[in-house]
Amino acid sequence: LIRRFASRCWSALASLQVTIVALILLMALVVLCTLAQTELGTLGAVNTYMRSMVVWRRLQGIPFPMPLFPGGALVGLVLVANLTAALIRRFEFNPRKFGLWVVHAGLILLVAGEFATGAFQVDTRMSINVGETVNYLESYHQMELAVSDVTDPAHTEEYGIPDSKLKAGAAISLPGTPLTLKVKRFYLNAELAPRADGDPPSMADRGVGAGVKVTEAAPAASDKEVNATSAFVEPVAGGRSYGTWLVSTMLGAPQTFIHEGRTYLLSMRARRYYLPYTVTLKQFSHDSYAGTDIPKNFSSLVHLSNPARGEERDVLIYMNQPLRYDGKAFYQASYGKGDTLSILQVVSNPGWLLPYLSCALITLGLLIHFGITLFNAIKRRQVAEGAA
Amino acid sequence: MRISKLFTWLPGLLVLAAVLATAVPPGRIRGFDMDAFGRTPVLEGGRIKPLDSVARNALLMIRSKQGVPFEGRELGPDEWILDVLFRPEAADAQPVFVINDPDVLGLMGLKQSANRYFSFATIEPHLQEIASQARAAEGLESVQRSRFQNAVVNLFQRLVLYNQLENSVQLADSPGLYAELQALGTPEAVQRQKNLADTARFRILPPLPGQSGDAWQNTGEALLAAGSSAPQPALISLALVSAGYKAAQPEAFNRGVAELQGLTANIRPQALRHANSEILFNRIQPFYLGMVIYVLALLTLFGSWLWRRDLLQPAAFSILAAGALVHTTGLVSRIILQGRPPVTNLYSSAVFVGWAAVILGIILERMYRKGFGTAVAASAGFASLIVAHHLAMEGDTMEMMRAVLDSNFWLATHVVSVTIGYSATFLAGIIAIAYTLRKHIAPELDPATTRTLVDMTYGIVCFALLFSFVGTVLGGIWADQSWGRFWGWDPKENGALLIVLWNAIILHCRWGDYIREKGLMACAIFGNIITSLSWFGVNMLGIGLHSYGFMDQAFWALAWFIASQAVLIGLCLMPRRFWAPRTN
Repeated sequence: LIRRFASRCWSALASLQVTIVALILLMALVVLCTLAQTELGTLGAVNTYMRSMVVWRRLQGIPFPMPLFPGGALVGLVLVANLTAALIRRFEFNPRKFGLWVVHAGLILLVAGEFATGAFQVDTRMSINVGETVNYLESYHQMELAVSDVTDPAHTEEYGIPDSKLKAGAAISLPGTPLTLKVKRFYLNAELAPRADGDPPSMADRGVGAGVKVTEAAPAASDKEVNATSAFVEPVAGGRSYGTWLVSTMLGAPQTFIHEGRTYLLSMRARRYYLPYTVTLKQFSHDSYAGTDIPKNFSSLVHLSNPARGEERDVLIYMNQPLRYDGKAFYQASYGKGDTLSILQVVSNPGWLLPYLSCALITLGLLIHFGITLFNAIKRRQVAEGAA
Repeated sequence: MRISKLFTWLPGLLVLAAVLATAVPPGRIRGFDMDAFGRTPVLEGGRIKPLDSVARNALLMIRSKQGVPFEGRELGPDEWILDVLFRPEAADAQPVFVINDPDVLGLMGLKQSANRYFSFATIEPHLQEIASQARAAEGLESVQRSRFQNAVVNLFQRLVLYNQLENSVQLADSPGLYAELQALGTPEAVQRQKNLADTARFRILPPLPGQSGDAWQNTGEALLAAGSSAPQPALISLALVSAGYKAAQPEAFNRGVAELQGLTANIRPQALRHANSEILFNRIQPFYLGMVIYVLALLTLFGSWLWRRDLLQPAAFSILAAGALVHTTGLVSRIILQGRPPVTNLYSSAVFVGWAAVILGIILERMYRKGFGTAVAASAGFASLIVAHHLAMEGDTMEMMRAVLDSNFWLATHVVSVTIGYSATFLAGIIAIAYTLRKHIAPELDPATTRTLVDMTYGIVCFALLFSFVGTVLGGIWADQSWGRFWGWDPKENGALLIVLWNAIILHCRWGDYIREKGLMACAIFGNIITSLSWFGVNMLGIGLHSYGFMDQAFWALAWFIASQAVLIGLCLMPRRFWAPRTN
């Protein structure tokens, strides 16, 4: 009985009906995901519809979110399982079907590649001014509260606290320093304005924050907006408070305090990831078509320096020509400040090769399939002619 | 036998002869060699083009047509641009602004009537109001604007374009270029020259010897550069053209034009050669003619179902072939003129989708010879060229490519494959529509023909899946090369994926025998909806990396198209002649 049940499950898993239903569900998800992008932004829509097992939605009158639709990840898994089962079940050494078999194996790899991307891809950026040397990447979405020991101008010690750890009431001690930061209030996104006469007093009693009014704002929804992450923090060291400070990505002026002869700088900024090598922007070029603002090309000439590996070389990064180094790809993404600032998008995706492999497999499969079809057609025609 | 064969090809040859006749240059009008003036190369929108192209594109944007009927005759684009440049008071009286929106008309105190065309002089008293309404609306995203707001922004943009053109060679309210040359060096002149340099739409003066190829100047810049010293010779020729036209002295005008061309020929011969080729392309309007020829082929084919099928069916095919030849020539000319693969923007994708569908249809007709290939090819060609014709209203169709798109390799592989995928999906849909109409209209159904139609659709869907899949994957590779991700769920990518998925679903349903003849056909018609959405619909969302061509008015056209396809799917699934009273 169990064997019969298992064999029925197996054939159901491998059946064409499952393929078709999964494909139709995938189509519906793609449509929903596309339409949702106007509201949620690309990343939000993809996370809701494509990278989730189930699409949840809050309905009126029900206090908890309801599962509304199978998510892209679930449909993808079903599709991969279905394809794999079908490939195993129907595998036979029939040259007429071998090409299609290879094509479908390639398809599995393609879906696997998208799973790998969803799970492992990290997008960061590197902004460099001409002549500047940079050894870190910046996150697009995550912020960090940085406390830097700037006592020695030649050597700065930095401690970054990611925004995920910044919650009101948290007390974060910085390892290697006598400092503890008390978070009094945290805003993922906020609007900052100069404090008017009638406004209640600011929580901050030190630094520029005393004159600023902070209002909580909804987190950025579209891809174009960036959260103005802000917080009121109180550094404490050796039982002594150094006052309450406002830190925000919207504040540019440096805010420092001195504890036992050491100067500490407080700042809220995009989260940084340090690299074991440096990149120097030697030159940025940007041309427009004559008499228009239509960009013709951008390129950054950078110098890559990695003493650990003894590498010192110049690289030209331009449109459609990224630098692939250290498991990351550096793309020319944007520019600013009258063409003296270059912004590189830095992507690390361990699965980046999968789509290429998949394409190669699929192409091979199609070539085999059509080659065999053509060969058979010619043979049939020859046989027909021979008979006539 | 030979004579009948000749007769078969005669209609096509006649059509081609008629096409060639349009290539003959027009004569002088009132003694002015306007054609020669239209050949003057200028730099506009980042590329060298003849002034004739500037005039045609501007007229298409402002008036939606390439000519202006005025005082009992049709002004061509060259004559119109001459009036705009040198006789603005005459141009202001010509009815060139097409306004359809009743609220915009109401803003100017006008009632909606049969006359949709208004002159600048009519609009001028309301400029302030239009400008302030447009500025208020421009703050909104295109999708958020009301119909009125879109219409008023559109009118304002056309007024700005018209104003730029009027102030491109000389200021519209000035006595002319001669007076400007005489005033060189005076303090008031400098301000006027600066205004002229800022507003000019195009740069008409070629780079001086020794300057770079991009150093074209407009008259304002050239006057500023001259300072109080002697102006460059081209400016003097241009002043002669201006004065000759204004004073109705054709000899002076023609001499000025000849001098200007002589100067350009010395300094930039390649610019003049390019302008001359483009003029020929402009004059023949291969895509417009192609559209007319496809209609002719379709009508002939319809005729063949009523009378002398043996004669008219081959005749229709020969006319279709002539249309395809004109279409192909136009496509190749664009490739050569632009130095780019065939598809670079939405407009050229429409031209190419139609072309690929026509070629596929011709192949089908040669394989099956039932007349259906001709019908399908001619309707596909006609429909896509109509779409292209409307897309041409957005401006220069040979615009420059933005940096990220500037890759001939990927344009030639990814874009062409995806577009062929669109073509094939549409073609399958059109065959299915032909099947549906035939099912309900034809007095008798010949099973062999039905079988042929089903085979054709199945084959084309396979073809469509292959090309749309390959194209989509190549697009992924391009995206990985330039943006750092293979797949980003961008709306246009999703659109392409939908086509791939739909074609895959059709084929898997067919292989599993879940759909037969009727189901296959209904699915193929649904493919039209999917393709139209992914081709145009995603551009209307106004988001994503591919939304280069946003369209306001196309929304309703698309909605109607989808509704019509839904009706056709219903018809396809209904039993044959379900409305007719059962005789049995």
